[in-house]
Amino acid sequence: MPEIKVENLVKQFGDQRALDDVAFSVEDGELFTLLGPSGCGKSTTLMSLAGFQTPEAGRIAIGDDTFFDASRRIAVPAEQRNLGIVFQSYAVWPHMTVFENLAFPLKVRKLKRGAIRTRVGEVLELVEMTQYERRYPHQLSGGQQQRVALARALVYSPSVLLLDEPFSNLDAKLRLRARTWVKELQHRLGLTTIFVTHDQDEALSMSDRVAVMSAGEVQQIGTPEAIYRAPANRFVADFVGRVNLIEGVIASGDGPRVVMDVAGSHHRLSLNGGDEPISGNVTIAVRPEAVALVSADDTTVNGTNTWEATVGAVAFLGDHYEYEVHAGSVSLTVQAGRRVEGDRVKVHIPPEACAVVA
Amino acid sequence: MTTTAPEQGFARPRRSLVPAWALQTAIWALVVALILGPLLPLVYASLRDRPLYEAGGAFTVEPYSELFGDSLFWHAWLNTLGFAALTTLMAVTGGALVAILCTRTDLAGRKTFSRLILLPILLPSLGMVLGWVVVWGPGGYLTTMFSDRLHLPTLAIDTIPGMALVEASRLLPIAFLTCQAALTRADSSLEDAARSAGARPLRVLTSVTVPMLRPALLNAATLIFTLSIAALGIPLLLGTSNNIVFVSSYLYNTWTSAAAPDPASVSAGAVMMLAVATLLLIVRNRLLGSEARFVSIGGKSGRQALLRLRGWRWPLAGFLAFYLTVTTLVPVLGLAAMSFVVVLTPLVAPWQLATWDHWQVLLHDPTFRNSIENSAVIAVVGAVLTTALIAVATLVAHRSRFPLRRTLPFVILYPRATPGIIVGIGFFWAFLLTGAVGDYFRGSIWGIMLAFCVRNLPLAYVVMYPTLARIGEELDRAGRAAGAGWWETSRKIVLPLLKPAIFASFVLLFVEILNDYDPAVFLVKPGTEVMGATMLSQFIQGMVGPVSALAMVQVVITVVVLGVGAKVFRIGVTGGDHDA
Repeated sequence: MPEIKVENLVKQFGDQRALDDVAFSVEDGELFTLLGPSGCGKSTTLMSLAGFQTPEAGRIAIGDDTFFDASRRIAVPAEQRNLGIVFQSYAVWPHMTVFENLAFPLKVRKLKRGAIRTRVGEVLELVEMTQYERRYPHQLSGGQQQRVALARALVYSPSVLLLDEPFSNLDAKLRLRARTWVKELQHRLGLTTIFVTHDQDEALSMSDRVAVMSAGEVQQIGTPEAIYRAPANRFVADFVGRVNLIEGVIASGDGPRVVMDVAGSHHRLSLNGGDEPISGNVTIAVRPEAVALVSADDTTVNGTNTWEATVGAVAFLGDHYEYEVHAGSVSLTVQAGRRVEGDRVKVHIPPEACAVVA
Repeated sequence: MTTTAPEQGFARPRRSLVPAWALQTAIWALVVALILGPLLPLVYASLRDRPLYEAGGAFTVEPYSELFGDSLFWHAWLNTLGFAALTTLMAVTGGALVAILCTRTDLAGRKTFSRLILLPILLPSLGMVLGWVVVWGPGGYLTTMFSDRLHLPTLAIDTIPGMALVEASRLLPIAFLTCQAALTRADSSLEDAARSAGARPLRVLTSVTVPMLRPALLNAATLIFTLSIAALGIPLLLGTSNNIVFVSSYLYNTWTSAAAPDPASVSAGAVMMLAVATLLLIVRNRLLGSEARFVSIGGKSGRQALLRLRGWRWPLAGFLAFYLTVTTLVPVLGLAAMSFVVVLTPLVAPWQLATWDHWQVLLHDPTFRNSIENSAVIAVVGAVLTTALIAVATLVAHRSRFPLRRTLPFVILYPRATPGIIVGIGFFWAFLLTGAVGDYFRGSIWGIMLAFCVRNLPLAYVVMYPTLARIGEELDRAGRAAGAGWWETSRKIVLPLLKPAIFASFVLLFVEILNDYDPAVFLVKPGTEVMGATMLSQFIQGMVGPVSALAMVQVVITVVVLGVGAKVFRIGVTGGDHDA
């Protein structure tokens, strides 16, 4: 039932556009992520959903309930939306015990004492915090406070769960554990969830689908794989993961094989053609790990998209080596599993690894 | 999961019966009405050709031209401005020096001094002036002793510089607090950088520390100037013997003069005073705005003292102790002594003059007894009501989406620029114009309470706002998301977190309202006397002994309440904005 529909949200802060025609929809039970750098409008979008921001235009509906519709002057107050929110600071009320924090939303809903006891107990068990119910927030660690915040957002069975950068206050190790745990819990409860983060690893590893945002606009919506492998534009390619951008002009662009003249060099690059014919100036994105790197005298790698190159710099990064190589005027970052001896190397760019981003 | 949650979730929280906007509008309207309510009738009264309590009357600017034609009025302004300028100069210089000594040097006992130095602003102001009169005034105990017995020169406190000294000693804590706050907030690495660059500590002090204080000094100066323009007790108690008239005492005398009371021109004078005070407030707001740009974030507390005083550690501490003794301890002791003797004079041994009579008067004379009872009731009820109203008004101002919320801080802070006598005259006219309701307030102590509360409510805001600003906004958003409306979120989450500030506000307001006097002089009637107003009128009639006893009652209650408050609620007066 709780399919979330966000249509054409516009929000202006002074002369800056915080939201510019933001639209997306979220399926029932899905974990949907808003990913982007700070100031991209992801938090404004989430707070508009929660009812703490009022956009100038657009529409927000969850299931059959319209929460916001600028044209019909509908704006349901935050407390009537029945959404669960975990804030970045957790916002666990410091003057209440863990139990009281969880009981508050139920008291607001006029539940009987016994029912409150049972329900709070149940949810505390779910987040494995049962033995802490009498503690005050200042007696808990950051990770425990986060669980309390999540439990408080779940205790009244909200129709949708909103997570606002919930892991940013945890240290690196704890963050990884919390990620898996939250994802697992979300899946188990089948709860439709919108998650806001600036961390691409979090976004890719947890989400069913991701919306990448920048400058108040949605740049691309898709599964983590699609976003990573086929970024829709330069921004997405650059923001999600690391990327080599190669500019050039299409030489022959019909059919399954497209050939591009790389700008400022004699190299040519073969690409897989898409459904639509392309022509003119284009930019290609290639992930560093998709590029193969071998020594110059290696004869197994040859043919199309294989260029000779010189090594500019190399860095050892534990599980891999990172090379900065120059093939004529084209500079590439390449991730290699093993060390390649010598200054002269060959690089091979598989056509299927090339995504046209502009 | 096994769950007690029903399939469709729990019932949605019900909307509260009174919508939040209605509540917020009511609070906003109440605050605005209380603060502007007395001022509009004042302006109205100043533009009528006869007092509002007489029938008829028409528009006129006569009161203004009459007032402006009175050379005595202009003379009073000259006196007032001279007095205020001198007061400001002394209080700001002194306050800044003590603040630097207590925060940037290794002065002996600097922690204790930074607390004791606050006493003058907390003690009852009228009582302290009386203490000065009794000890240092013409014919005062120590004046007589020094000049007649020891033939030493003493300062004549019944001159304008003398009066400025008395007022400056009361207002010095304001400059101290402002400078102290600025110094603690300032990034000490700025000073460290100067030392690394080779400057000696004293050079750092004069080249870096003091210039950094400039915005704080200007801010304190405007506030102190505004407050001293409004001083009423000092010209009435100290100015009469030398015939020095201030604007406030000019208005008071014109109002109370039985021969030719002239309410219209008094109102006109009050409007003019209000205009000056408002102008100063606007200037101060401008300054505060520029001060924010001066604030360098960072600054660790508990840093090492910058300047080693070496041989001066104890002599300077001794000087501070001497200053506090002369300006605070001695006047209080003088009051205490006065309340137990027939006449306070060094010519006769005090035990030969000992008497309980003054305290007997307090118990048996209806005026004095009523005053104590009324003041206590007004202070308790007034402090509770004001704290409650300003607590929710502060929430409307900073934690709501009420459209007019941004106007509230300005409105709430306005009475600090409004001299007490203006609040008094304003309420007098407001009660006259509001029929039966006004009559009720005019005839009971609640009218006086209202005036005291309005005058002191900025203090509640100044105490509560910094605490509220530190309570993260996500905490109330979490309450809203959990299903609670604005009022329920405020009541269950924000206000409980604000508790320490609410208690602090109550204690400080109790003390301020208990000791306040100048708005009441225009409102008291037989039966509705309050301590301050009684002290003023009885002193003028020569009842020095009982008045001293009454002042002692104020001092003792003040000290006990503040002491207990500080212990129980851990109230520390810190941060730059306490003004009374």
